Amino acid sequence: MELQTPEKIIDSFKTALGDGVINAKIYEREVAVKKNKFRSLWVEVKKSAFRDAVEHICHLQEYPHLAIISSSDLGAEVELIYHFTIYYGHHLEELSLGLRVKVPKSDLKIPTITDLIHGAVFTEREIQEMMGVEVVGIPDKRRLFLPEDFPEGVYPWRKDEKGPPDDMLRVLPGREQK
Amino acid sequence: MSLKAFKRALWVYHLNTGSCNGCDIEILAVLTPRYDVERFGIMLVGSPRHADVLLVTGPVVKQMVLRVKRIYEQIPDPKLVVVVGSCGIEGGVFYESYSLAGPVDQIIPVDVYVPGCPPRPEAIIEAVVKAWVKLEKAEQGVR
Amino acid sequence: MIQEETKKATYTIPVGPIHPALKEPIRLALTVDGEEIVDVDIFAGQVHRGIEWLGMNRNNPIQTMYLAERICGICNICHPFAYALAVEQAAGITPPPRADYIRTIAAEMERIHSHLLWAGVAAHEIGFDTIFYLAWRVREEIMDLIEYVTGNRVTKAIFQIGGVRRDITEEQFPRIRQSLDYYKSLFDQLKKVFLDDKTIQMRTRNVGILKTEDALKLLTCGPSGRASGVPKDVRQDQPYAAYADLNIKAMTPDMVTGTVVGDVYDRIIVRLLEVKQSIEIIEQCLEEMPPGPILAQPKTAVLLKALTQAEGEGVGRAEAPRGEVIHYVRLEAGQSTLATWKVRAPTYVNLMSVPTILKGMQIADVPIAFASLDPCMSCTNRMVITDRVLGKKSIMSYAEMRHLSLKKTEKLRR
Repeated sequence: MELQTPEKIIDSFKTALGDGVINAKIYEREVAVKKNKFRSLWVEVKKSAFRDAVEHICHLQEYPHLAIISSSDLGAEVELIYHFTIYYGHHLEELSLGLRVKVPKSDLKIPTITDLIHGAVFTEREIQEMMGVEVVGIPDKRRLFLPEDFPEGVYPWRKDEKGPPDDMLRVLPGREQK
Repeated sequence: MSLKAFKRALWVYHLNTGSCNGCDIEILAVLTPRYDVERFGIMLVGSPRHADVLLVTGPVVKQMVLRVKRIYEQIPDPKLVVVVGSCGIEGGVFYESYSLAGPVDQIIPVDVYVPGCPPRPEAIIEAVVKAWVKLEKAEQGVR
Repeated sequence: MIQEETKKATYTIPVGPIHPALKEPIRLALTVDGEEIVDVDIFAGQVHRGIEWLGMNRNNPIQTMYLAERICGICNICHPFAYALAVEQAAGITPPPRADYIRTIAAEMERIHSHLLWAGVAAHEIGFDTIFYLAWRVREEIMDLIEYVTGNRVTKAIFQIGGVRRDITEEQFPRIRQSLDYYKSLFDQLKKVFLDDKTIQMRTRNVGILKTEDALKLLTCGPSGRASGVPKDVRQDQPYAAYADLNIKAMTPDMVTGTVVGDVYDRIIVRLLEVKQSIEIIEQCLEEMPPGPILAQPKTAVLLKALTQAEGEGVGRAEAPRGEVIHYVRLEAGQSTLATWKVRAPTYVNLMSVPTILKGMQIADVPIAFASLDPCMSCTNRMVITDRVLGKKSIMSYAEMRHLSLKKTEKLRR
């Protein structure tokens, strides 16, 4: 497997996905005394090009490591970032790749990637129960962390009306309710 | 409080209701040769039916409420409850979370509180000894 | 596959969630066919305290540092470490080099303490309580050292965004070196006790095997992944803090035995090798410690104001004793709390390999196979395993399962 530079990887994304790539940037930082430089990639794709993007990452490396899917509530849409790492096992060569996709709240669905990466099932279940994103085709729909009797339609990470209501919060006596 | 008052060994059952494990590893450290609580006859048992004292750690997470009650009922009388760590006293760092069901004393009656995050092993030993003395006094009918 | 469904009954065994030996509430329900485990299912959520919600809605970024510490009491340094790296990347703060070295020393001390803790618990699951007490007695030396350097045994509170809060001065070096020499002299003995003992070999060899390909597919990380032949270590691949100056190599079991099997014995090897590696890393850091300040911004009020007005996002990755910890932080200008915070602990991914490890095992091997992954449930939010029931339902408590484990050891010893 040939280790490509970050610039080449971004070019390969643009070649494979065409205008599915919205933007891409490379972030660089220097560490400690010897000031080694480490770079990480952030690529934003359209929802329609999302599955192709994940397949492209699987071509870059045979078993890419999906660390977690993080989700942010941006008002009218939810931004999902799939944190991948590739080229692990090589000294100083690992690259972090953040694949960003924005999903509008009016159509809060995203296709599953568990057929490409088996280990994605836990994190997809988590965004389903915590953010309310429906993952289409997920093999296991159950809740992961919240108890079975947690009310439906309440999503803890949301900042809008679907977040936990005030009467679910356990406030200390004498402390004013926020 | 003298050692002559201890007429028998004290068996302790440890219950984790969702803590971060800081208090739990300090409770286990109390058993190890450095602090060595077993020389006083205090022993950790595997079943609540053999226990005299219940050591509870952690803020009670909603899923654990029924289990806490069930374990409390399984311990035979006379029994005492010791809450270890600030989480069980008033939620600790997690006080406003949506997944907490209240501090331990809203679910089962508590006798000794050990504040700290986590408390030192010496504080835990002192708490169990205080509970012991309370139990002995209760058995002798002295309040 | 289950043949003769009418003749062979499958039992569901729920175990837990109260664990008599230690630690986190965990409930296992295994589908067994006689003595052999057929299938395992995973639920989670009993230590769920809503920490990410608290960080996003209640705390300011500096208070969240101390909340992150209490995600887990055993991996107490790696969560603040990854969080600080993420916030520093988001806000554009660079810690001074001396702080990087002190952070590395604290992280390696935590690794030693965590692996010794695990060694004791693993021995306890097999039935060697003597080794349990021995390992934890030996661990007290590093706990004393941690208290000497940071001020507390368990929740150390040494991290701050932009650096560390306490310095390690030259006068403290001899005491640190004294503890490290103690561990170096003990290391051969530890190796003999764990690796050369025949009963431990019989209980752990070829038990709980995770093949390399499964480990790659299921995203296993940390010592469990390295023991299965995946040489993945954040300190080697994408170093942070002082690891970038040192040359770290991921420890794999073929350094001792020559082959990689991926069973419990290999995981013991990897963890013991890492203890030795940690001792060497601390010594190197002490020798190469650069002079200078320890905080990028010593005044907390100024730091808080800068963070409230910063805008950006950052990813922080650290190598915990159990694997890779990753924090994602997003800051928005004008917001006093974090806009987004996502935490992923290593046990989150390592749990997915539990069904593969336990299939085909006997019930008596479940405690040691499960404990060999070094699960830290409070980092993950617990796991519950249930399953389908085809025949009679039988309930076995964890104490009974552990009793089976002890009986197996006695049988092997005879």
